[in-house]
Amino acid sequence: MSEPVIHIAGLTRRFGGKTALAAVGLSMPRGAVYGLVGANGAGKTTLIRHILGLLRAESGTVRVFGLDPVAEPVAVLSRIGYLSEENDLPGWMRVDELIRYSRAFYPAWDDAYAEELMRAFALDGAAKIRSLSKGQKARAGLLIALAHRPPLLVLDEPSSGLDPIVRRDILGAVMRTIADEGRTVLFSSHLLEEVEQVADHVTMISNGTIVLSAPLDDIRESHRVAGRVPSLNEIFVTHAGAT
Amino acid sequence: MRSPAAAIAWEFRWRHRVGLTALAAYFAVMALIKVVVLRGERVDFRSDETFALSVVVPLTATIIYFVAVFTFGLSGDLAARQSMYPARMFALPVTTAALAGWPMLYGSAAMALLWFATRLLGAWPSGVAVPVIWPALLAASFLAWAQALTWMPYPLPGLRVVVMMLWLVTIDAVVMIALNLRASEGTMLALLAPLGPLAYLTARVAVGRARRGDVPDWRGAFARFRADVLPRPRDHFSSAARAQTWLEWRQHGWSLPALVGSVLPFELALLFLFREAPGIVFEVLVAALLTPSLMSAFVAATVRRPQTTTDSYGLTPFLAARPLTNAALIAAKLKATIRSALAAWLLVAVAVPVALRLSGTAPMVIDWMRRYVEFAGRPRAIAAALLVLLALLASTWKQLVQSLYVGMSGRSWLVKASVFAALAFLVVAPPLAQWIVSSRALIAALWNALPWIAAVLVCIKLSAAVWIAMRLRDAGVFGDGALLAAAACWDVAVFALYGVLMWLLPALLVRPYFIVLIAILAVPLVRVSAAPLALAWNRHR
Repeated sequence: MSEPVIHIAGLTRRFGGKTALAAVGLSMPRGAVYGLVGANGAGKTTLIRHILGLLRAESGTVRVFGLDPVAEPVAVLSRIGYLSEENDLPGWMRVDELIRYSRAFYPAWDDAYAEELMRAFALDGAAKIRSLSKGQKARAGLLIALAHRPPLLVLDEPSSGLDPIVRRDILGAVMRTIADEGRTVLFSSHLLEEVEQVADHVTMISNGTIVLSAPLDDIRESHRVAGRVPSLNEIFVTHAGAT
Repeated sequence: MRSPAAAIAWEFRWRHRVGLTALAAYFAVMALIKVVVLRGERVDFRSDETFALSVVVPLTATIIYFVAVFTFGLSGDLAARQSMYPARMFALPVTTAALAGWPMLYGSAAMALLWFATRLLGAWPSGVAVPVIWPALLAASFLAWAQALTWMPYPLPGLRVVVMMLWLVTIDAVVMIALNLRASEGTMLALLAPLGPLAYLTARVAVGRARRGDVPDWRGAFARFRADVLPRPRDHFSSAARAQTWLEWRQHGWSLPALVGSVLPFELALLFLFREAPGIVFEVLVAALLTPSLMSAFVAATVRRPQTTTDSYGLTPFLAARPLTNAALIAAKLKATIRSALAAWLLVAVAVPVALRLSGTAPMVIDWMRRYVEFAGRPRAIAAALLVLLALLASTWKQLVQSLYVGMSGRSWLVKASVFAALAFLVVAPPLAQWIVSSRALIAALWNALPWIAAVLVCIKLSAAVWIAMRLRDAGVFGDGALLAAAACWDVAVFALYGVLMWLLPALLVRPYFIVLIAILAVPLVRVSAAPLALAWNRHR
């Protein structure tokens, strides 16, 4: 079996008196779409920030591609495409400047693919980032996360700002494409219906603790009651409510 | 809290409770001394220094603090185009008049009260007839205009600093002229009375425009100029480091040249007005040469921010997730600041000779230079001139980067503490220097102790450098080879400076070991090398 893309063991993180993550353990083999679900403030973004090396593990270990993301940020980050929930692209840049700037960091940048995404997302290269709508900013962020065809794509609440049609068509298609090519996608969301549509594997997090982590089909099957398969929403309420 | 006025007052009081408590404690102590020790008798300031330390220093420090607090200047970007009025307050169900009016009223009242308290506790009763009303009105008007100009959106980055400097200096200059002409209290009041209402009207317009998001933008004209005149950028960056340097240059690089370019014409215009007064021509030249270094102190506050998109000093995920080492991210910032300093000095190097030539003062300056060459000899004169220019250029760059480690740490408490320390130093240094200069015995003692003071400072600097180097290695920011190469470069710079100083300065005047100490202290080391460490602390929290 190949080495997991992400391996986390006993990860604990506190912010002051609040425990954001408590002894989290997670292993993600390559080639699937992982949905990280949880309520707001459950610890999804904190976990993602540890994976990116933006937070240092207080206790426990985080390995991405077998490397410590804090000790070797370049080796890890150059293989990750990341879309932040914060819409923090520099507002003063034009879209074509953003692309020109971003491509310098990734040797595997695919100009043709970037061009294709730009057309698909209807982005104007001459437009300033600050003048874009929230949805367009998310598309621009998605473009630079995808165009270097990263082995690991991390999307933190990618749905925010995208209308339902864009969410279903673009995001779903992108995720399936990447997963089919043997790449790995980790995306966090509190919209469980969305996760249900695209994820192969679901990890539920509540109050900093992983309450359930398994393939989606297994989760559905194991929660079948009297022949009826409950929705992910119902399963989440069952587990998150119990903590 | 039942009104917007009370809510805004509460915010000022709560956010600055530590500073305001310290201020209240200071006045309580002063009142206690006045009532218990002096029993309300006349205060006898035995010297100017005592007066400065008891009255002028605390008063100036508090005025600066009040300006920072009531303009919301502690959490904004002075060099940005956008208004510094907190955007979160625009969404409050409050009229624009109230948004502009209440902070202005509180600020003006605080300044007036400050004057009355100082007058009562520090300078009354005294042998000097100190006016009561108009200084309070001046202080309130000064703050009101600082607020109005701070809250105004500007069409160009850095323009706020220029406009504020020019307008506030103009107000002060008018008051000084009136005082020199021995204007009466009534005249002073008549002069100052319109300033407050005018400032309020300006602030109302400023906040209204900021609230509507109406920020004029003249950068397009500069962009078109760049597109037409400057060579087109290549399609791709050759490396990630170059891309990052481009980002830093676009974010902060233009600020210093733009500021220097805005101030220089006003300074050099004085050459045309006072071409017959050699003293003023000399002062104007000195001011022009010091402009990049002085302006870089303002720009440094922007440069040390990791990004301009947010008020926070923390790294945005966009920047933090760049696949670059911390050292490379800092190197990009350093390269951009070098370009920025060079661009600012290029402006000075072009504008000063042109202004001297056009104003007809060039022969006067050439004559001064000729006399200096005759006095010092040609090689020494050339070396000294080059050394001064190099020192000014280095000082400009040093100003830009010396507080980088503070901003890169991402901790707002550290940023605020450093601002407070800098203000405290600026306030204390002049009277302290005056106190030292006034005593020959003190100057002699200090002169004798100078090598020891320098030696202690060198020990502190080198110890800090070793500690930082060890931390940089332990954190994996730099390897042994890079640290050794950096140490070797620093050694070469120190020895080069030592050699030039040894050649320039007479051995009888300054001992060689003292020159070594000076060279070690002059070449930047600790604060610049702490920047990658601070960034690592910020990036991997």
